[in-house]
Amino acid sequence: MVTHEDVLAIARLSKLYIAEEELDDLTKAMDDIIKFADTINNASEEGVEFDNINNLSNAFREDEVVPSYDREEILKNANDIDEGHFLVRKRV
Amino acid sequence: MKYEMVAGFETHIELATNTKIFCSCTTEFGADSNTHCCPICIGLPGTLPKLNRQVVKYAIMAGLATNCEIANISKMDRKNYCYPDLPKAYQISQYDKPLCEHGYVQLSSGKKIRLTRIHIEEDAGKLIHKRGDTYVDYNRGGVPLIEIVSEPDIRSVEEAKEYVEKLQQIMRYIGISDCKMQEGSMRCDVNISVRPEGSEELGTRTEIKNMNSITFIGKAMEYEFGRQVDLIESGGKVEQQTLRYDDVTNTTSSMRGKEDANDYRYFRDPDLVTISVTDEEIDELRAKIPELPAQKKERYVNELGLNEKDAQNIAKYRNIAEFFESASDGVKNPKTVANFIIGQIFRRLETESDKEEFNIATTAEQLKELVKLIDDGKLKNNLAKSTLEKMLDTGKGVREFVSESDLAGMDENTLNDLCQKAVENNPKAVADYKNGKQKALKSIVGFVMKESRGRADAAAAEAKILDLIG
Repeated sequence: MVTHEDVLAIARLSKLYIAEEELDDLTKAMDDIIKFADTINNASEEGVEFDNINNLSNAFREDEVVPSYDREEILKNANDIDEGHFLVRKRV
Repeated sequence: MKYEMVAGFETHIELATNTKIFCSCTTEFGADSNTHCCPICIGLPGTLPKLNRQVVKYAIMAGLATNCEIANISKMDRKNYCYPDLPKAYQISQYDKPLCEHGYVQLSSGKKIRLTRIHIEEDAGKLIHKRGDTYVDYNRGGVPLIEIVSEPDIRSVEEAKEYVEKLQQIMRYIGISDCKMQEGSMRCDVNISVRPEGSEELGTRTEIKNMNSITFIGKAMEYEFGRQVDLIESGGKVEQQTLRYDDVTNTTSSMRGKEDANDYRYFRDPDLVTISVTDEEIDELRAKIPELPAQKKERYVNELGLNEKDAQNIAKYRNIAEFFESASDGVKNPKTVANFIIGQIFRRLETESDKEEFNIATTAEQLKELVKLIDDGKLKNNLAKSTLEKMLDTGKGVREFVSESDLAGMDENTLNDLCQKAVENNPKAVADYKNGKQKALKSIVGFVMKESRGRADAAAAEAKILDLIG
């Protein structure tokens, strides 16, 4: 059962602000989603070694250097840049 | 009450691949910020990671060299956390199916420090905090790492230091990393707790993050051990938390407490397929693992007659061990070669990295030629030493400095004449000796050695001189 605290914790991780009056609805919605996903627990695991989703393996790349992008290209979508760096608000 | 330290290590090592783990950007260190980046390693939407084959190989070699079992089937997972050093807001790592498990590193006492696992993952970018902002450089983002997790088997600072040194030596030997702690290519997180001696239960642990020097690891552990013991003795409780060590004040301080304990919400990375390794492929990699320092040391002691300390000092560095082995191959006494290396050659290699690189002018073949002349009794020790100095200065062979006549030794008559001359030219020393000053004899022999340019046999000369004045 999803609780108000769960929803607030997820909101905090997702950097979302949730108002008090939204909590009941969101908690119920989240609970429905989780219950829906729980369906998968009824699937049989017999004979399934491991969660290999597509039965593919070993798509490797050789260890050969390809030139990187120009720094201007790399930085051009950033909100804020300075001295060749991405600039973000300080977090602890 | 007496307390015991209990510690385990999580060690991150950057692999010496040419390219990053999931893209083809170079891993080279020290470039301008954000110049070794592409849409994959800055985590742009719509990009797909592709695993570097060499990363898997190197990680398996690390596992084989530390007695791990290698998983035939392995996979990559996403470890979710939100911090600017990680542009995708998750790190691609391995969770429940690491490449290597259940290994150990053996200390010189014979004690085994068990390894829980070794897995592969991507490094994060570098953050620089200044002027209230955070500057982000993603050059390091996506550089391949292995994380080596040990069991809490370490009981002292000495064991901790030896464990880290052993790991460093092994990884350098197999050539998968330069393990330069000062450049961050090897970093340790130390989990540490205390318990009353004799107790089997584990105490609450703290984790000291990102240690990048063996000396500081020792100091931080000593400090943290003392802090935890004091806390318990004064009736308090150790709180589980993440600490940072300050090398200026030599103290640890809290980075974050348990209440913020991260839930990483691990799940399989659907962008990356299963890693499957056959036993044949593992055997091929096993064949590439050279004889490791611990085995070399044993062999040097048991088969070549070196003492423990010399054997250890030579086996520690792969380049030096290889030099020693080829220089002593076929000589009568490998100890002579070891003495030259530990003595005269080490004097020219001041730092650890000098020894690691081992750039000297003289080749193993040249040293062997010199030692063989000593073996054959053609070259006396003093002359050999001064000749080696010249060889090391110039890179030239022994024959450049020692002539045929030097090697021919000295016949009886010549030695007689020289001794006679020495006695005549040093009347004061002769008188001193006769008055009981034993040391004066040395200066008379020294005269002979000097006149003969080191060719004379010092012991024979001494006997002759004693005959003449005695």
